[in-house]
Amino acid sequence: MEIKIDDRKKIAFPRINHYGYAIRYIVEQALGAEYVLLPPATKRTTELGSRYSPDYACAPFKHSLGSLIEALEAGADVLVETGGLCRLDYYGALQKEIIRELGYQCEFINLAEYMGGKKSEWLKLAKKLSPKLKPAKFTTGAYEGIKMAEHLDEIEAAYYQNAAFETEKGSYKKAYRQFLLKMQTAENRQEIRDGYQEVKQAFDEIETRIPEHPVRIGIVGEYFTIMDGHSNQFLQEKLVNLGASVYRFLNVTNCHFRAKEPALRPRIREYADYSMGPTTTWTVNAALDYAKQGFDGIVHVKSFGCTPEMDAIPVLQNISKDHHIPVLYLSYDTQESDTGLDTRLEAFYDMLERKKKVLR
Amino acid sequence: MKKKAYLGIDIGSISTKGVIIDEDNQFLAECYLWTEGNPTEATKKVLHSLEQQFDGDSYRIVSSGTTGSARKLVGSMIGAHVVKNEITAHAVGTTTLHPDVRTILEIGGQDSKIICVENGVAVDYAMNTLCAAGTGAFLSSQAHRLGVEVEEFGEIALKAKKAAPIAARCTVFAESDLVHKLQVGCPKEEIIAGLCKAVAGNYLNNVAKGKKIAAPVVFQGGVSKNAGVVHMFEEELGMPVLVDEKGHLMGAFGIAVLAKEQQDESEFSFDVAEMEFKTREITCGKCANHCEIICVYRDGQLIDSWGNRCDNGAVKNVV
Repeated sequence: MEIKIDDRKKIAFPRINHYGYAIRYIVEQALGAEYVLLPPATKRTTELGSRYSPDYACAPFKHSLGSLIEALEAGADVLVETGGLCRLDYYGALQKEIIRELGYQCEFINLAEYMGGKKSEWLKLAKKLSPKLKPAKFTTGAYEGIKMAEHLDEIEAAYYQNAAFETEKGSYKKAYRQFLLKMQTAENRQEIRDGYQEVKQAFDEIETRIPEHPVRIGIVGEYFTIMDGHSNQFLQEKLVNLGASVYRFLNVTNCHFRAKEPALRPRIREYADYSMGPTTTWTVNAALDYAKQGFDGIVHVKSFGCTPEMDAIPVLQNISKDHHIPVLYLSYDTQESDTGLDTRLEAFYDMLERKKKVLR
Repeated sequence: MKKKAYLGIDIGSISTKGVIIDEDNQFLAECYLWTEGNPTEATKKVLHSLEQQFDGDSYRIVSSGTTGSARKLVGSMIGAHVVKNEITAHAVGTTTLHPDVRTILEIGGQDSKIICVENGVAVDYAMNTLCAAGTGAFLSSQAHRLGVEVEEFGEIALKAKKAAPIAARCTVFAESDLVHKLQVGCPKEEIIAGLCKAVAGNYLNNVAKGKKIAAPVVFQGGVSKNAGVVHMFEEELGMPVLVDEKGHLMGAFGIAVLAKEQQDESEFSFDVAEMEFKTREITCGKCANHCEIICVYRDGQLIDSWGNRCDNGAVKNVV
């Protein structure tokens, strides 16, 4: 009997929020390789990451290094790390060295080396990862994967905006979890579409009791920490449990497919003339938007030592003063305990709620 | 018919405070003592002391609340109606006693915060983040170094003609500054005045940064009992700073007011002070998160548990 051995490469990417599902789809359906889909991050991920990271590296570095090591333990042959507009651009190179020194055998692809390069280089990379690659199949597969990311973002936003007002506790979460499970296993365009439509319908059918003036909170801040629930100690979930409607402009859809930085900059001209860093324009624009829409409060999220977001703080203070909107500043490292965060969030929410009652 | 009364307990890391108020927010009983690392024991002592002061013949306690860092534990212990964070409690307490207040400054043993008030309701707050620089802990460690009691700090500082400049940003820098000043022969009272100034400066530059400080200002927390720091705040801000004699009880008072505001009433009995409470920490082994789950037992019976991050770690059979 002939034993068929799967000779496809096993590719892994650091965890970031729910985007692993879309990346898995692109890797498996478009590229024709295998993807190592990791279970949700735990304390161990953070511990692994911090143990082998330089102390001064920011929390996203530690979280992603932890993910990569866990992926290697799960059998990945190819690790992919992205580049970016801040220190992140250097992280791939450093993580590659750390993983080599730890003695793991794997291929390490640092996308920072390809960013800003020729398109033909990207094609070469894809061919290398999957020798039997068909360009037409790749294009449609990648498109469908991007569509999935957009759906994921849209449903996530709807969840955090409305989940606080459900009459039967847990009904939003149930529908949302089912949707995530479907995206995790989707293998073609139809399955993505079905999952999306089902959750939309399920959300519509959930009975809600929305107060006349709900407390609305906008979340702004640094790219990784703001999106990744494990890194921000499930900040949005906590605010929903307190009873707030939570909005977050920054996600992959808005950041990469829709609002480009030069298009947003004129909207914040009052506060900043030039781009101050990777996501600062999005931070300021979203904060200003929330202030103008009459939101009750803003939460600013960053990893400890994130210089670009630190630069955004004085601008946020000005917005806070001009529009009378309180801003809560949170700085994350690899914390263990939720107590400090819980106290601050509870106090922030209580303040907004009491203020609403008295001033109306 | 007995008149209604409300109980508030504030269990901090250093001290535990308890008050009982009537419907007009008048103090019926109050107590202040050290937590000494044992919140359940401290609460029992507070309850004993309150029971002695309390006139049980004409009043009955219909609602209770807890605040402070051990609020959850003590909350489930006494069956509190409201369990709220200390920031909210302080804001509510202060605005109830001083309806016209605009800014609340607070420096405690390990944390410091500012609360901005408009029209009697808190509109903005900030809390110190990573380290305890410029709080009560800093002052008491420096007092130890200088060989004086921290309680005498205020008086000594007021005697100084001028304040020695001392870096306040970081305790380590402040210490090396302090050692240097001592060695060049700076008088002790000037150094102490400098430390008080450093605390006020650190507070205004860090916690209160970007916040508008409007009069009237109320100053609370353990450090507010230090006349030197109060004086430095007045100098820096150019406005009077009010220190309430009940300032140390404000958290407990605030949570009692919140207990009064909530609707659900049931009679509180001092018997809980006689019961035996035990907590047990269990490390959940169901995933790599290894959550530490706290279980609270009353007379050997499980009454509450928390600390699990997911449903896998939920402790069943809670009464």
